[in-house]
Amino acid sequence: MTRPCRTAYDGAVPRSTLAGSHTETPTGGASTARRIGAPVSIRDVSKWFRTGRSFLHALDGIDIEIQPGEFVSLIGPSGCGKSTLLRVVGGLLAYETGTVEVDGASPATARDTKQIGFAPQTPSLLGWRTVRRNVTLLAEVNRRGAVHPPLSEAATLELLETVGLGDFLDLLPKELSGGMQQRVSLVRCFALGAPVLLMDEPFSALDEITRNEMRYLLLDLWERTGHTVMFVTHSIPEAVILSDRVLVMATQPGQIVHTETIALPRPRSAAIEDDERYLAHMRNVRRALGEVSAR
Amino acid sequence: MTTDTVQTGGADATKQPPVQRPQRLRQSAMLAAPVAGIAVVFAVWEFYVRVFDISRLTLPTPIDILVHLIDQSGFYWRHARVTLLEAGLGYGLALGAALVVATLMAHSRFAERASMPVIVLLQCTPVAVLAPVFLIWFGFSVWPKVLVATVICYIPFTINEFTGLRSVDPNAYELLRSVSASKVEIFCKLRFPQSLPYLFSAGRLCVGLSLIGAVIGEMFGGSTEGLGNTARVGQTRLLIDQLWGSIFALAVIGVIGYLLLAALEARVLRWHSSQDLPGGPTAAR
Repeated sequence: MTRPCRTAYDGAVPRSTLAGSHTETPTGGASTARRIGAPVSIRDVSKWFRTGRSFLHALDGIDIEIQPGEFVSLIGPSGCGKSTLLRVVGGLLAYETGTVEVDGASPATARDTKQIGFAPQTPSLLGWRTVRRNVTLLAEVNRRGAVHPPLSEAATLELLETVGLGDFLDLLPKELSGGMQQRVSLVRCFALGAPVLLMDEPFSALDEITRNEMRYLLLDLWERTGHTVMFVTHSIPEAVILSDRVLVMATQPGQIVHTETIALPRPRSAAIEDDERYLAHMRNVRRALGEVSAR
Repeated sequence: MTTDTVQTGGADATKQPPVQRPQRLRQSAMLAAPVAGIAVVFAVWEFYVRVFDISRLTLPTPIDILVHLIDQSGFYWRHARVTLLEAGLGYGLALGAALVVATLMAHSRFAERASMPVIVLLQCTPVAVLAPVFLIWFGFSVWPKVLVATVICYIPFTINEFTGLRSVDPNAYELLRSVSASKVEIFCKLRFPQSLPYLFSAGRLCVGLSLIGAVIGEMFGGSTEGLGNTARVGQTRLLIDQLWGSIFALAVIGVIGYLLLAALEARVLRWHSSQDLPGGPTAAR
């Protein structure tokens, strides 16, 4: 697969904001301008859920190899196992067969060593914490387990400035709009400093205008940091705009039935939506989803 | 910063609507409402006793009772301190015990199942009958009254705190699990703060209950001090002013305790929707 170029930088925020605190590897290796995410390997993974006396085959023979710094979206009908797969990779759900490795380690180990950042469907901000304290929440727990340092306080604040929350640092979540809350959630995810980010429909509760704004904000953050991202969505445009690869999943059992490699240049902006290639990718993913529905 | 005036789109600040004034008016009205409610009740009471010429032995007027309270303030203050101590200790003990038990119950199904029958048993037992038992165990000390107050407050504290600790936001819980936060970290960062609205709700209820417990303890626990005792003596010796004075003093203590707790709650639970004025939170949208 051709790796897209993500070295371009628009200069809006110093790159050191996101990469500065990551210049040392856990083993004390050489500094890099920006951190590249860790690889994720999913081989022949199957998962069943017990439903009363029977079992539901949620995932069947899932094989995905995700390169460091790759952005992969999972798309498919409700109940096809996208979120389940994300939780399996995140070490939040056990699986029956196959192997999952995050940077060569099991999901449980990756979780214990804070190599995985998780962005749930809802912002899940703690209501009693201000914006400033919500974004540092994940860095405050399991400190000893972390093999990668979280972003420094200064870098986190600069990141909040980047997403337009610089004037709202001391506000409580209830004083923020839905879009602002989601931005806090994104910053919290990035501020953890984990090389792999798992995002479970983080924009699903937002209106279309805010959602569109958020996807480009995420794109901007990710293009600067180079995390490995697994992104679950129901939105075809979102998947195509953000991803290097879009994996279309079928339901019962959850399987990957189509892989769409997105050959769009990076960095991407809203102008890409007029690109013929973008429309072609949209058509391909839509067609694959149509075939899934017809099964 | 007044969040009502914050604009994310960088709009001209001079074009903001003047939101401060109506909000202050609304807050003043909110503060005046309870005073107005009590004033109306007292006015109706005073009017009823005077117009229908009700015997003062049956029902003295609020003004008579207040005058008596002020005249005998030293007497009531001495007894109020005893009742306050008993109620306060009972309240604190119940809170401490409830926090421990509710935490155990929230983390262990076994502890939950083991504790529930005891809680139901305590709930179904009339507290008044426990006072003589505690009197036998602890003699004429402060502890029988404290324990009655403890028992009566323990149930609401435990049930509410347990519910609060269990009613954790599943997404936030999963988020903390995703970085292997320990049980202690999840408790400190998520469970306990999220349970505070439930705890304060029980706390407000228990302000009155702890006083009831202390008074029951004094009435049935062979006490010679405290407002429960003065009320009992007032009733048996037909000292109607003393009976009503004791009732008023207890009510005043209860109201002050409630208001202090409400003020603390408003500060601690600033983040919670229960503290919003009607119309919802002020949002920086």
